Amino acid sequence: MDMKRDYYEDIQLFRTKTVLIASVLSLAALAVLPFMVGGYTLYIVNLIAINAIVAIGLNILVGYTGQISLGHAGFFAIGAYSCVLLMVKGGVPFVIALPAAGLISALFGFLLGLPSLRLEGPYLAIATLGFGMAVTQIISHSEFTGGHMGIEAPRMSFGPFEARTGPQQYAVIMSVAVIMTIAAVNLMKTRVGRAFVAIRDSEIAAEAMGVNLSWFKTLSFAVSAFYTGVAGALMAFALEHVSAGSFNLILSITFLAMVIVGGLGSVMGAIMGAALLTYLQIKLQIVQEAPLIGPFLLEVSKRFFNPAGLANIQSIVFGAIMIAIVIFEPLGMHGIYLRIKRYWRMWPF
Amino acid sequence: MKRGIFSAVIMICTLMTLGVPNAVMSADAVRGVTDSEILIGQWGPQTGPAALWGTVGRATGVYFDLLNSEGGIHGRKIKYFNRDDAYQPMKTKAIVKEFVENIGVFGVVGGVGTSTGMAVRDYLAEHKVPWVSPATGSSHWSQPFQKYIFATFPQYHQEAYVLTEYAVEKLGKKKIAFFYQNDDYGKEGLTGAKQYLESKGMTLAAEVPVEVTDTDLKTHALKLKESGAEVVIMWVLPKHGAIILGVSKAIGFSPQWISCSTLSDPDLMFNVTKGLWKGVMYANFVNMESPNIKKYLEAQKKFAPNEKYTGLFFLAGFYFAEPMVEGLRRAGKDLTVDSFVKAMETIEGWNDWLGYNCTFTATDHQGVKSVYMEQCGDDGARIKITDWLVYKGK
Repeated sequence: MDMKRDYYEDIQLFRTKTVLIASVLSLAALAVLPFMVGGYTLYIVNLIAINAIVAIGLNILVGYTGQISLGHAGFFAIGAYSCVLLMVKGGVPFVIALPAAGLISALFGFLLGLPSLRLEGPYLAIATLGFGMAVTQIISHSEFTGGHMGIEAPRMSFGPFEARTGPQQYAVIMSVAVIMTIAAVNLMKTRVGRAFVAIRDSEIAAEAMGVNLSWFKTLSFAVSAFYTGVAGALMAFALEHVSAGSFNLILSITFLAMVIVGGLGSVMGAIMGAALLTYLQIKLQIVQEAPLIGPFLLEVSKRFFNPAGLANIQSIVFGAIMIAIVIFEPLGMHGIYLRIKRYWRMWPF
Repeated sequence: MKRGIFSAVIMICTLMTLGVPNAVMSADAVRGVTDSEILIGQWGPQTGPAALWGTVGRATGVYFDLLNSEGGIHGRKIKYFNRDDAYQPMKTKAIVKEFVENIGVFGVVGGVGTSTGMAVRDYLAEHKVPWVSPATGSSHWSQPFQKYIFATFPQYHQEAYVLTEYAVEKLGKKKIAFFYQNDDYGKEGLTGAKQYLESKGMTLAAEVPVEVTDTDLKTHALKLKESGAEVVIMWVLPKHGAIILGVSKAIGFSPQWISCSTLSDPDLMFNVTKGLWKGVMYANFVNMESPNIKKYLEAQKKFAPNEKYTGLFFLAGFYFAEPMVEGLRRAGKDLTVDSFVKAMETIEGWNDWLGYNCTFTATDHQGVKSVYMEQCGDDGARIKITDWLVYKGK
């Protein structure tokens, strides 16, 4: 039922009318969202959008190209700091500083990609881990970046217009997120995207087909870092303050968890993973206030654990989700989605 | 296929249950104040690398429980929201947005962490949320002047100033070295020490920085020894305090050690240094002789019997909240943000709490500028060696 008869059918963005309609509807939903919900919900949606950009970027590297990175918090930090520093110290307008931050991050991604040509698996994981930690160390010890205290981010501005309120920030962040999502979907349908996938499936076969391994591997790192850098810059504005301490190893691992939970090798999966984990991260802190299960969990925690017990439920739930995904659904949330889709496609019969 | 739908349904149900409990903000005249309740929030790390400090937020909860059991403030009970930010500014911001826009709290209290606090400082100011006692000694809370922030943690530079003054004038020492963590925490301390010495035309015998990640402190100890310092003032983490004492003893260097108030738990330090901490002088700003302490520890037994650690950080949870409660009392029945700020500014030379001489004025919201000194005795006992030392610099 999924037959394609010519190449152009394969590369078009919206394969069927249903997909087109669904995409338009969801875009419309995103557009009216700020009029429907309050500032707090909007902030969480902003965080989800930002994390989704990172997850898409990391998925290009991990899911599509088959490389690993435990250092994406480093690119996130580079993006955040370069954008803020360009604006504060360089007087560069936001519209230029945002892509510039992505490009600076991409440059570092390219440099980190070079050793990845010779490293694989756990060795690459360690190399990227070291990179992520080195970035925060350097930033926190430099006077130029404001040291441990970090620096305050200016407002996002387009000429005279300043994004001050939640909805305005949302408009900027969500637009960037949508553009970058479409770009990622498109990228995967080009020669470059196919080269990435070929490298993941078999490096030797890819090389035999004429894929330049060193170029495409480093390119994959650079593209991934670009996405993460742009997301980092947006995060700086959502927080209005950046400090080195927040870009730690845990953050890198959370990013990776989003990709794995969402589904490796799928843009849609990355978005779902980012949404689920971000939402849980925020909401599990207040699980004790949820009806029914809240008081029950609180009682269990009081009786059997120390007073800080319930707060750690987040780690337990995250761990359980990861284990469940790996055992039951290696394709992640995207896999679940695919099965549901297939079921409904056959529905009336 | 069935399994797919089943798991999706479960997931959706879980999310919906978690999503429900957002209290709706009432159309009240004053945010967070009703006829029977005052809503107050606090964030802090309950999990993650700084989880040890989570005890502050829980202790504040015990304090409010105690107050409510005594009838509350002007007939209103305090409804307290303690949130975990895991020391991540991203989460702190989410928590504060929830406080202000969803729950609608009257004010916030405490809040451990400088970078987490900085991520929300301007947002809170924009929404005119009173914030009493940010729980670090950074100068960002009162400089430049913040109308809605009331700081009760003595600033690190003020504390270093009085400690240096003590070393020079009371101990009569001339050669003073400064051993500090190479970040804002340590550097603010260094600034204070230098400020005092410059006013007397003196200089430090040595300034030795240590990185947070360092574990081998031999060169640091040698540098301190070479300077011939008689007194070494430290502005470091507990682990570095413990290591430097051990290494110094090994190379035969034993000056008078003086430490910042962040290491003011002698029992703990005595144990981790296996007795080397004895004789070390340190600053403290929680009045351990206050009659309130007994009352608070009894409340802990009643309201939080599982709490294992009831040392200094625990008491700090009470210390941070007391001035806010005093302000709420003084503001009277007609509570608004403005009446609260005005009431806070009438607090002058107030001593009926765990701190000393709390004073807020309309132009200075740094309420506490004094510490006193203790020395660690046998088995980590606290020996009080000075009265309150008041900061008299600019």
